[in-house]
Amino acid sequence: MKARYGSIALGQEVMDQGLCTGCGLCVGMCPYIKSINERVAVIHPCGKEDGNCYKICPKTLTDWVEMDNQVFGGRRQDHILGNYQKILFARTRQAHVHEKGQYGGVATSLLSLAIEKGQVDAAVATGGPAGEIPKPTVAHSREEVLACGGSHYSASPSMGAVNQAVKEGAARVAATGRPCQVLALRKMQALDGDSSHNLAANKVNFIVGLFCFWALDSAIYSFLSKQVGVKGILKVDILVDGIEITTSTGKIKIPVDKVRPYIRSTCQECFDPTSEFADVSVGSTEYDPGWNTLIVRTKKGEEMVDMAVNEGIIETKAYPEERLPMLYTAVRNKKLRVLQQKEQNTARYLQLDDEYKQGIIDQGVRRV
Amino acid sequence: MSFLSLQVNEVGKQVLMTGNEAVARAAIEAGVSYASSYPGSPSSEILGNLGKLAKQHNLYAEWSTNEKVALEGAAAASFAGVRAICIVKPDGLNVAFDTLKSLTSSGTKGGLVLVVSDDPSAHSSTNEEDSRYLEKVAHMPILEPSTPQEAKDMTVAAFDLSEKVKLPVCIRSVTRICHASGNVTIGPVNKSIKQPVMGPEDRFVTNILFHAVQEKKLAMLAQLAEQWPFNRYQGPENARTLIITAGPGFVYAQEALSVLGVEEQVGILKLGISWPLPENFIVNHLEHADQVIFLEEIEPFNEENIMRLAAHRLEEVYPIKFYGQKSGHVSGQLGPGLGEINPDTVIRALAGILNLSYTAQPKGYGQEAASLVQNVPERELAFCAGCPHRASFWAVKSALAINGRNGVVMGDIGCYTMGLLRTGYKLLQAVLAMGSGVGLAHGLGKLDRFGFEQPVVAMVGDSTFYHAAIPALINAKYNKSNFLLVVLDNETTAMTGHQPHPGLGLNAMGDETEHMPIEKVVNGLGLPVEVYDPYDVDGTTKMVFDMLQEQGTKVLVLRRTCALVTAKKETKPKVYVDQKLCIGDECGCNRFCSRTFACPASIWDKKAQKAIIDEAVCNRCGVCVSLCPQNAIKLEGVEAGEY
Repeated sequence: MKARYGSIALGQEVMDQGLCTGCGLCVGMCPYIKSINERVAVIHPCGKEDGNCYKICPKTLTDWVEMDNQVFGGRRQDHILGNYQKILFARTRQAHVHEKGQYGGVATSLLSLAIEKGQVDAAVATGGPAGEIPKPTVAHSREEVLACGGSHYSASPSMGAVNQAVKEGAARVAATGRPCQVLALRKMQALDGDSSHNLAANKVNFIVGLFCFWALDSAIYSFLSKQVGVKGILKVDILVDGIEITTSTGKIKIPVDKVRPYIRSTCQECFDPTSEFADVSVGSTEYDPGWNTLIVRTKKGEEMVDMAVNEGIIETKAYPEERLPMLYTAVRNKKLRVLQQKEQNTARYLQLDDEYKQGIIDQGVRRV
Repeated sequence: MSFLSLQVNEVGKQVLMTGNEAVARAAIEAGVSYASSYPGSPSSEILGNLGKLAKQHNLYAEWSTNEKVALEGAAAASFAGVRAICIVKPDGLNVAFDTLKSLTSSGTKGGLVLVVSDDPSAHSSTNEEDSRYLEKVAHMPILEPSTPQEAKDMTVAAFDLSEKVKLPVCIRSVTRICHASGNVTIGPVNKSIKQPVMGPEDRFVTNILFHAVQEKKLAMLAQLAEQWPFNRYQGPENARTLIITAGPGFVYAQEALSVLGVEEQVGILKLGISWPLPENFIVNHLEHADQVIFLEEIEPFNEENIMRLAAHRLEEVYPIKFYGQKSGHVSGQLGPGLGEINPDTVIRALAGILNLSYTAQPKGYGQEAASLVQNVPERELAFCAGCPHRASFWAVKSALAINGRNGVVMGDIGCYTMGLLRTGYKLLQAVLAMGSGVGLAHGLGKLDRFGFEQPVVAMVGDSTFYHAAIPALINAKYNKSNFLLVVLDNETTAMTGHQPHPGLGLNAMGDETEHMPIEKVVNGLGLPVEVYDPYDVDGTTKMVFDMLQEQGTKVLVLRRTCALVTAKKETKPKVYVDQKLCIGDECGCNRFCSRTFACPASIWDKKAQKAIIDEAVCNRCGVCVSLCPQNAIKLEGVEAGEY
């Protein structure tokens, strides 16, 4: 069957090659792509030669320069962190969010604010108890958003919930996700399909991107539960030197080498650990667990952050100048690895022009 | 043509009956006490009718769980001296054959008739089998009726014959006898029903010594065959061209001779008993013939036996020439030895052999037929609208795709055999016989030590589960196999016309019995079992996916009553397409409902270029409502999420 840019190609070029990031945006777009336990598969060839599933996939051809044009209206100055307006430290001022959220709880607070202020009808996030395979969730209230607080470290295909939210009637949706998920949403927004087509991402009007250097295969959960035995897992945290599991009886640390086999192979080709195309990006500080790093990227992002600050929901402070080189080094190293892969003819999805390539090499040297 | 025809008891009255009804009537007239069968087309209606007549005529009728048990029950009644009838199709004869082969050795007492209904061209079978070869191996007489009337008369006579030679007697019927209707004269009902008893001298065992007895009985039958009243010769005395036939071929031959106007030239020798042969009767007619044309369906059984007879008695019949399937002169549409024959088959054969010019079709017939065929709606061999199997197959297919290890699915015999086709997404990779899918899955499940890593699924129906899956399941448990058995439980034997089975709590006579849920049986074997509703496609998919992660033999019962049963009983909300929401040919469902999921009720509105539901066909299961990615398919009066 001819289907160069349809679901068959998606299956062959992405899923069969172990390149699926599990973003989930193709799940539920059509009846042919489904997911269980973080495995995404094309279950039947739809027969289309061209498919939006193929076009929106973060691991099919992606022109980084074009993405900057689409989202920010121009090229980037900063080749490491991408386009942004400011970079801050931030944390929630809501005590209940702080309890549930990871680090500063900023992502949870922003989503919750978007719902409360009537900015969106629904928010898509990743929920479910720590230590279990997470559940893609459509939240309609602050409580439902709060229930999704806390990080999940496997590649939950939670963008499938964007399709679900729109199918259920949501006209405006906020979404939070990993960089690959943000990229997929932006690629979907770039499609100029028939106006009758229900492209869910066109209804997404606020995207909170997360920092992500890699995600784990869902097999990690049975591994973790074996490690902790019968004790319930309350929280999972990834630190520089391994995984820290908080259980009802205390903390258990698992060295990074034991976790490494569970890293999704596709994450090795990831060029974007900081969600460069989100409205705002949120990550840890690698420094103070009470705070998040917050990168405000778009005008929409700025509006939402300002609103949150004005409402007293979050507070911000300047990003400590002396810590910036560490962030830059980490991100730059990841990008350099992918550039290297490109020279070896892998990471083929990534399209960059020479200026972008050179920018990573030069700018990194300058900043560090 | 209905059950009403079997209510007529006026002796001498002519009533329109199918061949199946005629056999049921014969059982009543012969004073049958015990009737048993497992449903199988084309003969399912015989036991179905006897079940309904059971109380009125004081007989016992049962749907047995398989044909072997059915024959054993009937044999026991015969051992106790009462008359019994057992009805099977060739596949069922294979199942019962172990018992049958011994039964002809042990002998019988009360009249025992085994009705075997072959299905030439396999209209409602997964394969084509000429059962006469097996009956010959079993050393039993074979009677082939040509019309419904003869089906009744022969069956009545068969009971007497059985009692005379103390053997089960086979009535070999075929689809065109079973389902064709004809006038049948009602005969008197035998009221002298014996009291069943096993006397101390009644012994029914097998032994090598009884082989000689079997041969003696066949020799005795061959003598009786000479005078058998259903043999007939029709045509000119000393006809030089002779047709030898049995069964419906006799009727086709009569029609062919009439069409060709050669009734005065060609004789028809009709066998009323195909085995053992009435040898002298046949040789007497071969003597005056120069050429013989054999006419029979499926395989050249009579042709082979009679040619061997001719070879034995060559000096009496020489010179003679034989035409038939072996010579290639007698051939149905599929070729010699394959499928059904009809009057055209005979006409073509005769015209060729006798060098007659005959144009079967008027000029322009082909063109006219082709133009008319366009008006016939296309009907694919597919699951009915609302069939729970469609949802089950889609869920299993989805789960295997997400599992991503090239799972293989072994099929079985029932409606769901169509899972081989587009309607079941071509999921089934093997279909053999009743229950075979479970044995096959077991075998694949034991190949792991050689590096076989594909997950294995077997799919069987509920009736098939009781029929033949249980021993295979015990074997799998005993030998620690690794596969998932999915039982498609639609709470009826749907393929053959909704006969009850042990899962229903109802028997063939309409009496209540204790029902045996499949999950309880599986539990009793100590195997893990889950029960789920296939109409919840996503939930079923997850269930199959999760169960495939577990090692060992496990069973998933997907329970949803056959849509044809519920359609008659329940009123459900109408399903319709909101064409404003349907995105037609835009990406990305590409007509999922009408093209891929392919429920016959989901059709394409050519004018609107959108999906539409064919209300006349829809059984309102609502599965497409849950699968449409656009939420364009709705249930009238039901909000999304409520269903």
